Parts: sequence; C-alpha cells; structure tokens
Amino acid sequence: MEISRKVLRPVLAFFLVVALLPCIIDSDYLVRFSAAILLWIGMAGCWNLMSGYTGYIDFGPVVYFGIGAYITGISMSQYGWAFPAALALSAFVGVLVALPMGAVTLRLKGAYFAIATFAFAETLKQIILEFDRTFGVSFFQGSHGITLPLTAHDNTFFYYWIMAVTTLVTVAHLYIEGSRFGYGLKAVKDSEKGAQSLGVNTFAVKLGAYLTSAGFLSIFGGIEAYWISYITPADVFHVHKTVQMVIMTLLGGMGTLAGPAVGASFLTIISEILGETFVEYYLILVGAIVVLVVMLLPEGLMGAYRDIRRRTGAGPKRRGGRKP
Amino acid sequence: MDIVLLQAIINGVLLGGLYAAYSAGFSLVFGVMGVVNLAHGEMVMLGAFASYWMFELYGLDPYLCLPLSATLLFAFGYLVQRLLINRMMGRPHIMSYLLTFGIHLIVANTAVKLWTHDFRTVTTAYSGSNISLMGLTLPSARLVTFGLALAVVAALWFYLNHTENGRAIKATAMDKETARLMGVPIHHIYALTFGIGAAATGLAGASLSPITVIYPEMGLEYTITAFCVVVLGGMGYMPGVLCGGLILGVTQSLATTYATAGISMAMSFFILFVMLLVRPKGVLGRGLAA
Repeated sequence: MEISRKVLRPVLAFFLVVALLPCIIDSDYLVRFSAAILLWIGMAGCWNLMSGYTGYIDFGPVVYFGIGAYITGISMSQYGWAFPAALALSAFVGVLVALPMGAVTLRLKGAYFAIATFAFAETLKQIILEFDRTFGVSFFQGSHGITLPLTAHDNTFFYYWIMAVTTLVTVAHLYIEGSRFGYGLKAVKDSEKGAQSLGVNTFAVKLGAYLTSAGFLSIFGGIEAYWISYITPADVFHVHKTVQMVIMTLLGGMGTLAGPAVGASFLTIISEILGETFVEYYLILVGAIVVLVVMLLPEGLMGAYRDIRRRTGAGPKRRGGRKP
Repeated sequence: MDIVLLQAIINGVLLGGLYAAYSAGFSLVFGVMGVVNLAHGEMVMLGAFASYWMFELYGLDPYLCLPLSATLLFAFGYLVQRLLINRMMGRPHIMSYLLTFGIHLIVANTAVKLWTHDFRTVTTAYSGSNISLMGLTLPSARLVTFGLALAVVAALWFYLNHTENGRAIKATAMDKETARLMGVPIHHIYALTFGIGAAATGLAGASLSPITVIYPEMGLEYTITAFCVVVLGGMGYMPGVLCGGLILGVTQSLATTYATAGISMAMSFFILFVMLLVRPKGVLGRGLAA
C-alpha cells in the first residue's frame, strides 16, 4: 500500500492544525463549534467509506449511531461503566449488529438496498421506543430517554475524543485510497459483475466497508450521548442525521478523501450562521443546494475543484475512461 | 367471528384503500422511470392543502376539489419532471433519489414557512359520521376514499392499457430506446407519467383532507408508507398497490387493536424489510426487481 506525499501532506497539516486548535482559541463556544464540525466530518466520512466508494446508497447509517448512543448510555448509567469501556462495547455491538445486517442487505441492489437500510433504521427506532412498554421492563426507557451520568469534562475533552475517531476514519480513507481493498470497492462502484469476473471478492469488500462504517458510527454515537448526556430514540435515530451525512458527502464529492470534510464544514458553518431562528430557511437552502449540486456538480465541490485545476493546467492529467 | 376482530379487519381494509390511493402514483413513477420519488409525500400534502384552502376560503366541499387538486398536481409533476428529473435519466439512480430528496426539503419547508407548523383539519357535515351495520362501524368518509382508491387504480390501469399515451408509457417503460425509435417522444412521456402519478397522488391527498390532520411536514410519513405498500405489492405493478395496501392496512390495524400503535409501525417496517429480502418482486411476484 502506498499513499503519495501529495495526499498525505495536506492531511497531516489539517490534523496538526486541528490538534492545536483548542490551545490557540480560548473561546468555549468555538471549541464546541469546531468539535461539531469534526463530528460531522467523521460521520459523513463513515457514510463515504461505505456508500461513496461502493455506490451502494445506505439510507440507514444512523442506526449504528443510535446503537452506539444507547449502548454507551445504558452501560454507563445502569452498569456504571467507564466512558472508554462503554465506547469499546458500543463499537463491538455496532459491528456485531452490522455483520448479519450487512450480509443480508448487501445482496440487494440500488433502490432496494437503500429502502431496506432505511427500513431497518426505522424498525430499530420503533422497537427501542416500544420495547419497555411491550415487555413490561425498564431497560430502554422508551420515549423518556436515558440520562447519562453528568460529565465533569469540558468541551475540549470531547473535542479530542471526536478528533481521535475522525482521525481513524481518515486513516481508513487513506487505506482505501491506496490498497487492494480500496480498488476492490471502487471496482464494485464501476461494475460489480466486472469486478467479480476479475476475481474481486465483491461481497467481502462491501461487507468490510459496511462493518468499518458501522463500527465508527457507533463510537460517534457513544461520544455524542455522553457529550449531550441525554438521549431519546427520536433524537439519536433521527432520519435527518442520515440525510446530513448523505448531503455533506454529496456536496463535497462522493468517493473522495476530502469530500466529506469539505461538505461537512461548509454545511455546518452555514447552519450555524443561519441558526435556529432560520431553521426553515436553512432546510430550504439545503434542498436548493442538493438540487443544484445534483444538476450542476454531480461530482461535488471536489470534482469541480479538480476540473478547474485541470482546465488551468495545474492539476494532474485525467486518467482512465471517465468522459470530461 | 369475534366482533372486535371483524371491526379491526374492516378498519384495516379501509386503511389499506387509503394507502393504495396515495401509493399508485409512486408505483407508476417507479415502474416507468425507475425513479424512487422521495418527494412523493409532498404531493399528498399539496393535494390536501389545495382542498383545505378551497374549503376554508370558499367553503367548497373537499370532494368537489378532487379535480382541482389533481389538475394542480399534474402541472406540478409535469414541470418537475420536464425541468429537473428528465436531466437525471441517463445518470446513476442515486442522483434521482437525491434530486427528489432536495425537492422534498424545498417543498416541505417552503410550506412550513407559508402555512406554519399548525395541524389543520377540514371539518365537514359528514366528518365523523358513521354507517352502523350489524354492530360494526363504517366511517363514511373512509368508505368514499376506499371507493376512490379502487377508481384511481382502475383508471390508471385502463389508461395504461387502452389509450395511445398509455401504451406509449408502457413501451417506454419496457425499452426506452426502441420506444424512441418508434417515434415516442420519451421526454414528454416521462413528464406525462410523472404528471399523472402526481395527479393521482394529489387526488388522494385531497380525499384525505376530511379524514386526517394536515400539516406541512406530513409528507415524509406518506412517502415511507408508499414505499412499504409498493414494495409489498411489487414495484411498478399497478394492481399490486391494492394488494400491498390491504396487507399493510390489515396488519397495522390488527397490531393497533391487539398491541399498541407504536408496535404497528415497527411491524410495517419489519414486513417491508423481510419482503425486500424474501420476495423483492412483491407478494404477487409481478413487480420489477433490481
């Protein structure tokens, strides 16, 4: 596996700046806001790992976020686990659930895969909502939600946790960009049958990407649960989390390294500027952005940037068979 | 038979009719163009609001508004397809989902801006009126909607099989290149298909207005239910929506009667999920599968 320096350098520079940021800025608001951007970069990255590279559109990634949030919430509040242990358990359970789910749903294609993943996320949300009432137990607490032990940590603590996991997601991207596994994923996107005939175990690479994505999302769910310290099924399984991941990645550029980071930063900043007071305008604007991106920039901002560089002669020559 | 059970089944059948009414357009659009229209629920919402405003402003009966809602939605659907979705037709399907999702966000949130988050109802003289029959209760408005669903599906079926444009739509669905060679203007046909789908959906939306609450964000729920119905009945197979609607309606009604409403939601998603894995062509096996 090899990654060119040209790719590695900006990534290292980015994470150096990110790691030093809380030492430079002393505004708690800005640390919290930067942590939110990093969280979205990581989550959009998880979606990109699976759907961006393979072209299998997952409409239910939020399910693993929710599972992570609930496992962390329950293990900390009811069993008194430490935060890192709870996160490890979240990742484990996330992957454990993703294994049969991925094995079954990845046989479906196109719209059917999208709908099945969506249906799974909604089913699990409903089950967690109704579990206690139906079985007469007190475990998930239904729509009352779970309150986690109050945290003594400040935003900087969560900033670094989120940064650590987002870094791992980026490492996974780098691995995809330069490994056989990554070429396998991209081959699935271009032509699954063609990839199979060349000896790529397409099922294994798809499942690998699905599990990786699920594991990281579960950890993000756990971190956010402890951070905001109160979770309900309606919040942590909210379809808008899925939507955000999809749109951020699409806006930045699907199946690219920098795409999720560009898209997530852009949308999080816009949403912060428009704020809660203009939430409808924000959503109308997001809708308009989606329509425009799909119509005009199908390869996202990163694709447009590449095209501009190429046209001005600064970028690398286009290889392969994509039409200009 | 137990009267509670019988009533639950009847409620389910009536509910299923309602589901079928607003899912027919979704099935048509998917069947002909392979577009999963994530803005489908918004067309139900627009149809319902058209009828609501006619009732509020001019006191027009919701059922008299059916043609109006259908016409408005036809125009909306035709334009959306002609100006936006047609440009996506040769591209990967993900682009059309994303595009319709963008339309969903724009329409739903513009509606929130215009009409606020308020829940609204159309209360007519016959709202809440029932027909009693051997101890069973039959809500009259739901009966009418049920009849309407049958009429919509029958009309679509007739249109597709026995008119010139309908045959052109079917031909385009089967093989668009050949259809084009035979002189079918496929861009117009796509727009016509989407327009007809939208009109049927708007009609269903208007007929919902005397039965349910109306609010700008109601759409997503309807899109999701239409998904379930169409997958159950077979994507793109018109009579399948009746079948899918009935299965879903009866299941939900039984679950609500004997368990809770929340479980009935979980049940419908579970059925959807299992169906996708086991019989992606629908219970009748006549749908299109990827």
